[in-house]
Amino acid sequence: MKMKVAWAALAVLAVTATGCGSDSGSDAGSGKTTITFWDNNGGTRTPIYQELIKRFEAANPSIHVEYVGIPIASVQQKYDTAIAGGDTPDVGGVTTSYLANLTGQQALEPADDWLAKSPVNGKLAQSMLDSVRKTVPDGKLYMVPNTSNMDVIWYLKDKLKQEPQTWDEFFKDADELTKKPDEYGYTIRGGAGSIFQVLAEMYSYSGISEFFDASGKSTVNDPKNAEFLTKMAGLYKKDTPEADVTNDFPKMVAQFGTGKIAMMHHNLGSYNDHVKAHGKDNIGAFALPTGPGGKRTIVANPVDGFAVFKNSEHKDAAWKFVEFLVSHESNSYWNQQTGQIPANTEAQADPWVQELPHLKMAVDTLNDPNTQVVSPPYYLPQFSSITKAETEPLFQKVLLGQMKPQEFLDTLAQKLTDAQAEWKKATGG
Amino acid sequence: MSADVMIRPRTRAVPAGARRRRRRDPGRVLRLYIPLGMYLLFTLVPFYWMLVFALRPAGSNAPVPWPITFEHFETVWNDIGYAVFFKNSVIVGVWSLLCTTVIAVMGGYALARYRFRGRNLFMVVLLCTQFIPGAMMLIPLFSIFKTLGLINSLGSLVIADTVFNLPLSIILMSGFISAVPYTVEEAAMVDGCTRLRGFLAIVLPQLRPGLIAVGSFAFIHTWNNFLFALMFVSKQDSFTIPVGLSYTIGEYSADFGALAAGGVVAALPVVCVFAVIQRYLVHGISAGAVKG
Repeated sequence: MKMKVAWAALAVLAVTATGCGSDSGSDAGSGKTTITFWDNNGGTRTPIYQELIKRFEAANPSIHVEYVGIPIASVQQKYDTAIAGGDTPDVGGVTTSYLANLTGQQALEPADDWLAKSPVNGKLAQSMLDSVRKTVPDGKLYMVPNTSNMDVIWYLKDKLKQEPQTWDEFFKDADELTKKPDEYGYTIRGGAGSIFQVLAEMYSYSGISEFFDASGKSTVNDPKNAEFLTKMAGLYKKDTPEADVTNDFPKMVAQFGTGKIAMMHHNLGSYNDHVKAHGKDNIGAFALPTGPGGKRTIVANPVDGFAVFKNSEHKDAAWKFVEFLVSHESNSYWNQQTGQIPANTEAQADPWVQELPHLKMAVDTLNDPNTQVVSPPYYLPQFSSITKAETEPLFQKVLLGQMKPQEFLDTLAQKLTDAQAEWKKATGG
Repeated sequence: MSADVMIRPRTRAVPAGARRRRRRDPGRVLRLYIPLGMYLLFTLVPFYWMLVFALRPAGSNAPVPWPITFEHFETVWNDIGYAVFFKNSVIVGVWSLLCTTVIAVMGGYALARYRFRGRNLFMVVLLCTQFIPGAMMLIPLFSIFKTLGLINSLGSLVIADTVFNLPLSIILMSGFISAVPYTVEEAAMVDGCTRLRGFLAIVLPQLRPGLIAVGSFAFIHTWNNFLFALMFVSKQDSFTIPVGLSYTIGEYSADFGALAAGGVVAALPVVCVFAVIQRYLVHGISAGAVKG
């Protein structure tokens, strides 16, 4: 009897495994074109894409889109493996932070010609298009922007009554809002992802407009940046929790969610988490304050968008889908759901953008002619490793007082300068 | 066995006074209960927090899961797609367990019972394969599976996980088989059994702890394998639990309730497997570790 049950279970497993096994070819007979779309931040955004795909398929009955959500932490590895194995999707979600890596492997199709003939031409934010083009050596548009982000300081309105305009006011507020033993004015991101935030803060303080000077030397170790870093590191343990030294963004956002932290530097993307934890009325955001020079300077966040892959057998259908995603209605829907800045300028003018104070503030700041935007060198193949694995542990040493801020910045600057020189040599620049 | 041992009751009656003294013995409390209590606290507190996050409503900071809500479980099961991922994980886990165990028994028998040229070298090579990280084999395996048409198939995960489970499993199994005296098998063969019949009738029943140890390791390793599950599959309805778990942390936001609920769902089968087999497992590991 036991043997019979075991064999029956085995047979069920075998049938189920076979059922889940082979690649789908069900649309072949129906005359539909099937394209595959990889979402580079699968999970929370899946329902948004499912809705958009439903709308796209209704408008284009001859095209079927197969959605695959890739977890954000592994998306680069997934793309690299797929490129090496020659099994890339038709359309993929891509950001400028790893666009150079993908174009370096000749994996993407430029979209310039498609865009020139498209109805969305002229309706995408020029700053985002420029940012994408600057990322690659040949200046082509390998990715069509969908959204961008901006670094802000989130705060609890019941704790901070007036938004600081300068970094000096900010440091004063952080100190005053700290009420030991368990209430803190600020939380520092000391773990994964710390360097980008520190760069954004330093440049907003120093007002330096370029990452490299004319000779190709990094400006990261400028004395004004070091002055800021010394002040910021001085907050650690005084006005921030001690555990901040290992803070990555989930820990930082979770800490802020407890209500014991008054201010936190992150970007617009965590808005929904804050609303869930504190309610819409108790959450506020302001752009990174200005330094002694008084010039509003922001470091451009990576631009997120869509790319058509070179190996695609259905490039026209793939482009049609990309065009649909960045059209006014779709782009507006996507960004409204995620709380980010739309790439489509018509979507930027939609009422929902004006109704969300943090988003209106971000769009106004980005579109303000007095705002100075510093573009990080996303085009450097080593930029990601330099600002993550190679220097994040050093920043932790700065927080723990084991390394001087200037020494840390000199090390970071040298790595960036070397990478820039290598890149210039490779591209003949 | 002497007669007095035969008639001795299984548990000796301890006088009530002695029991009380033992309970009050401060040395025993210091030596036993405090370290055990601290260890349990250290081990179980993270699980407690996982349950708290999974069962309390979003936005709550309460240290206890009250009022209890199952909204996070509904999110992971229905919205994130755990219903499908769970089924896939079970299929891959069970197939990998079966394949690993059957092949490990065959390989282990060969290593334990036959003396052949290169046997020691083979053992060393098996051990060396344990030092190769899975990430290094991604591209070659991907190419092979693509040629075989196995990309996007659960079969690729079963094969890859089985291959990575096998070296340790074969070595462990050869230790278990060596522990069964060959003379017993020889006696069966003298009585007319073939080698296979002798193995099935005499050796296999004695390998139960070993089969359970190897099978459970194979199942748990496969159940937790994220890398292969993501890299060899690019179809939403073919992903497994570890991929689903990573969906709960996005680029700019993290759903801790869903993450904790997903963690509970992912951990439950492993905890149940351990609860059922732990007595065999401890015996199995120690037997395989010291003999061979």
